[in-house]
Amino acid sequence: MSLQSLILDLHAFWAGQGCYLAPTYDLEVGAGTMTPDTFFRVLDKRPWKVGYVQPSRRPDDGRYGDNPHRVQKHFQYQVIMKPSPQDIQDIYVRSLRSLGVALEDHDLRFDEDNWESPTIGAWGVGWQVLLDGLEITQFTYFQQCGGIDLAPVPVEITYGLERLEMFLEQKDDIYDLDWSADVSYRDLRFREEKEFSEYNFNAANVPALRQGFNASQKEAARMIERGLLLPAYDLCLKCSHQFNLLDSRGAISVTERVKMIAQIRALVNEIARRYTAGQESA
Amino acid sequence: MEFLLELLTEELPAAHIRAAREQLEAGFRRELEAARLAVDGLRTLATPRRLVVAADIASGQADREQVVTGPPLAVAKAADGSLTPAAKGFARAQGVEEDRLEVVRTSRGEYIGFRRTAKGASAEELLRDIVPRVLGSLAFPKMMRWADRSFRFSRPVHGLLCVLGGRIVPTSFEGFEAGDTTVGHRIISPVAVTAATFADYRAGLEARGVMVDDAERKAVILSRIESSLAPLGAELLPDPALLDDLTLNVESPLVVLGGFPEAYLSLPLEVLSTAMREGQKLFSVVRDGKQLPYFVGVADAAGDPKGLIRAGHERVLRARLEDARFFWDQDRKVPLARRAAGLKDVVFQENLGSYDDKVQRLKKLCAYVCDKLEWPKVRKDAVEAAALCKADLLTDMVKEFSGLQGRMGGLYARHEGYPAAVCQAVYEHYQPQSLEDPSPASAAGAVLSLADKLDSIVGVMGVGILPSGSSDPFGLRRNAQGVCKIILDRKLRFSFVRLVDKVLSTYGERLSADRAAAKKACLEFFEGRVRYLLEKRGFRYDLIGAALGPGIDRIHDALLRVEALDGLKSSPQFEPFILMAKRVNNILRGLPSSKVNPDLFAEKEERELHAIFSIVRTNAQAMLARGDYARAQSIIFKLQPALNAFFDKVLVMSEDKKIRQNRLGLLQSIQKMLSVIADYSQVVVEGERPARP
Repeated sequence: MSLQSLILDLHAFWAGQGCYLAPTYDLEVGAGTMTPDTFFRVLDKRPWKVGYVQPSRRPDDGRYGDNPHRVQKHFQYQVIMKPSPQDIQDIYVRSLRSLGVALEDHDLRFDEDNWESPTIGAWGVGWQVLLDGLEITQFTYFQQCGGIDLAPVPVEITYGLERLEMFLEQKDDIYDLDWSADVSYRDLRFREEKEFSEYNFNAANVPALRQGFNASQKEAARMIERGLLLPAYDLCLKCSHQFNLLDSRGAISVTERVKMIAQIRALVNEIARRYTAGQESA
Repeated sequence: MEFLLELLTEELPAAHIRAAREQLEAGFRRELEAARLAVDGLRTLATPRRLVVAADIASGQADREQVVTGPPLAVAKAADGSLTPAAKGFARAQGVEEDRLEVVRTSRGEYIGFRRTAKGASAEELLRDIVPRVLGSLAFPKMMRWADRSFRFSRPVHGLLCVLGGRIVPTSFEGFEAGDTTVGHRIISPVAVTAATFADYRAGLEARGVMVDDAERKAVILSRIESSLAPLGAELLPDPALLDDLTLNVESPLVVLGGFPEAYLSLPLEVLSTAMREGQKLFSVVRDGKQLPYFVGVADAAGDPKGLIRAGHERVLRARLEDARFFWDQDRKVPLARRAAGLKDVVFQENLGSYDDKVQRLKKLCAYVCDKLEWPKVRKDAVEAAALCKADLLTDMVKEFSGLQGRMGGLYARHEGYPAAVCQAVYEHYQPQSLEDPSPASAAGAVLSLADKLDSIVGVMGVGILPSGSSDPFGLRRNAQGVCKIILDRKLRFSFVRLVDKVLSTYGERLSADRAAAKKACLEFFEGRVRYLLEKRGFRYDLIGAALGPGIDRIHDALLRVEALDGLKSSPQFEPFILMAKRVNNILRGLPSSKVNPDLFAEKEERELHAIFSIVRTNAQAMLARGDYARAQSIIFKLQPALNAFFDKVLVMSEDKKIRQNRLGLLQSIQKMLSVIADYSQVVVEGERPARP
C-alpha cells in the first residue's frame, strides 16, 4: 500500500468513468479547483470529465514538519464530471470500494458542507464526506464559478490523498506514509515542510511579495484587455499565491485581506465573463 | 385510505429536513382541505435521504348537490306558464327532462334551472395534482441545481414513492414517476424495497438497514447512550441541538463510545467539547460536570464488531485535540490587552468602524448603565471587561472555533490573572444567545452583554439596516431578545429610552440615519420584541397590548403590568372596572383637557369621587414607584363604587360650561392615572368583539 498505488487506483477508476487524466498543473494553487482544467472547463456548456492529481499549497498550514496531520503542501485528487451524473454518489461509493475499503465495517457520511472560494468567485452545494469521522473528500455541486451561473451543473469530487492513505493504512502520522515501495513520504517531504514553513512564516520578503502581487495584478488586467484570458488567469493564480504568502507572513490586516481578495475576484470574474461571452458567440 | 409518500433524495442537511417537514405538513393540510378531502393522522417522518408523509385520507370528496341555472324566468316561461323555446333549448343542451326544470331564486333574480348531484372527485385523482404542487412549493435555506436541470431543490432528488390504499398514485414530480418502491440503506443494504402500505414500508426498510421513524431513532440513540455510559457512572454534557441533528443525520443509528489520552484533559472543558462537537459531532462525556477522557458518537452503521469505527473517530479526535492544544499554547503567549490593539483592523460593520471603535463605545456604555442602575461596585469590572471582551476574536482558537468567542476571552483572562468578575463578564457577554440560553450570571456580565447588544442594534439600525421577514443578517432580533431577557431576568429598572439616546450619542456622527428616526425605529422594534417575549410567556394578547400602552421606557415594568393584569383578570371587580375605564375613555375622546377646581363641585357624588381619587392616587403612586403594579391595580379598583355613583347621579355634560369642564377635568385626571398602569381600552371583556383574533 502506498500513495502511488492509491493514485494509480484512482486514475484507473476515473479513466473507467470516461475521464481524461490531466497532468498536474505547473503553478502554485491552493486547491485543485483553481487550475484551468477545472476553472475554464466548467464555464462552458460542453460536457467535460477530468481527473488529476494537484499539489495544493496553503502556506498558513505549515507546521515545520512537527504536526502529524498538517502540512503546507498536500495532494488532492480532483475529479470534475459535467453534467453531474444522476448516480454520481453511487459512482463515488464504488470508487471507495475500488480502493479496497470494506464500507460495511465503517461509518460513511455525507455531511452538509457548502464549499466556496471567494478568490475565484466560486461556490457550490454539497458535503464533506466523512469516513469514521475523517474528512476524506469534498463533494460539491458547483453552482457558480468566476461569478457565472453554471449550466449544466458540474460535480466536483476532491479526495484528500494523504488523509485517505492514512485511513487506508491506519496510520497516525503523515510522515509514516509510503509514496512507493522504496520512497517514504518523510524522504520526499519532511525537509520541504521544514524549510517552507520557515520561508512562509519568517523568511519570505514581504516588500518583494507585495511588489509581485501588484505587478501580477497589473499584468493580469493588461492581458484581459488584450483578450489573452488564459495568461491573465495564470497571473491571477500568481496573485493568489503571493497573497497567501503575505498572509502567512502576518503582513495583511483583516481589512486589507478583504480588499485584496476582492481585487483578485474582480479580475477572475472579468476573465470568466469574457470567456463565456466568447463561447456564446462562437 | 392509507396514504404514503416518500421523496428519496441525496443526504439533506438537518435544518433543511426540519424546514421541509413543516412545509409538507402545512402544505398537505392546506391542499387537502381546499380539495375537501377529509384527512386523519397526517404526520411526517424523515431520514437524511427520505422525506415521508403518512396519513389516512378519505377515498374521495363527498357528492355535492349542484344547482345549474339557465335563462331568467321572464325569458323562460310564457304568460301561460308554458316553457319557451329558450327554456326548452337549455334543457336539451343540459340533457335533462323538461319536467325537472324549476324556478331558482338567486340574488340577481329568478331563473329557470335544475338540481343535480355532482359526483365527488376521487382522492387519487386529486392527489395527482396535489403531490407535485406541495413538493414543488418546498423552499430550503439554500437551494441548488444539478445536472442539466433548471429546477432547484435542497439536494438532488432520486425517486418518488406514492401509494394510496395500496395502489400507486399516478403522479410525478419533476420527471420522477411515482412508484411503490424505494431503496434500503446506502451501505448496509442498497436494494429495492417495495411497499404498498405504511407497515410494509416501515418493515421493509427496517429489514434493509433503515429505521425510518426519527422519533424511534432518537429514543434508540438515547437509550443506547445511557446503557453505554452507565458502567462509567458518567453522563453526556447535554447538547439537545446536537442530538436532534444526529437523529436526522443517520438512517441506522449506532452509538460509539470512544476515548482520548488523559493528557488532553488539561484543556478547558469548553475547548474539549467544542473540538469534539464541531466537525466530528461527538458528545462530551462528563462526571459531576468534569470532562472524562471519553466521547460518544453516533454512527450510521449496522455495528462495529471490529472496533474500526471507534478507532477511526479516536484517531481523528486526537489530531483535533492536538491542534486545540497548539492554539491554547500559542494564544496564551500574547496577553489579551496587547492583542486588543489589533482590533483597529477588524471591521465591525462597514459604516460603523472597527471592533476597537466598538470597544471604546462599550466602555462608555458600561459606565453609563452602572451609574443609572446605581451599581458603583460593578462599574470598574464592567468597564475593564469591555476593554478586553473582543480581543479573543484575534486568537487562533476563536478563528478555528468561532462558537467559543467570549468564552475563550474569559478563559485567557483568567489565565492572565484578571479579577474573577472581569473574567466572568468577558466569558458570558454573548449570552443569552436564545430564549433558552441563560442570561449572564454576573452583574458585570449582564451590563456588558446589554451594552454590546444594544450598541449593535442601534448602530446597525442607525445605518439603515432593518430586519425584515427572514432576513436579519446581524441577528438583531436575537440580540434584542437578549437585551429584554437580561432586563426581565434581573428585574432591571432604568429608563430604556434614555439608554437608547446614550447609545445614539456615543456613535456621534457615524450614523447615517436621522437620529430621531433611528430612535423611533429602534423603540418600535423593541416594542415588537417585548410583545413577542410576553406572548411566549403565555399572556393573553389583549392584556399584553394593555400592558404595553404606557410604553416600554421601563421594559421590566411592562412585564409587571401584564402580570398584574393577569393576576386580577378573574377577580369579580375586573370586568366591571374595565368597562368603566372604557366608558371614561369614550366620554373624553377628542376633548381638550380641563382643570379641576374642587370649589365648583355641585353634587355629593362628584365631591366623594374626588376625595376618594385623591387618596387612591397617592396610594397607587406609592405602589407604582416600587414597581408594585398588582397592588396599584387593586387600589384603583376602589374607585369603582364612587365612579358608579358618579355616572348614576351626576350629569357630566351639564348645561353650565364651567361645571361641565370641571367634571370632565376630574375624569381626565382619573384617566391620566389609569394610563400609567395600563391601556384598558385594549382589554377584551366578554360580550365584546375581540380587536383581533
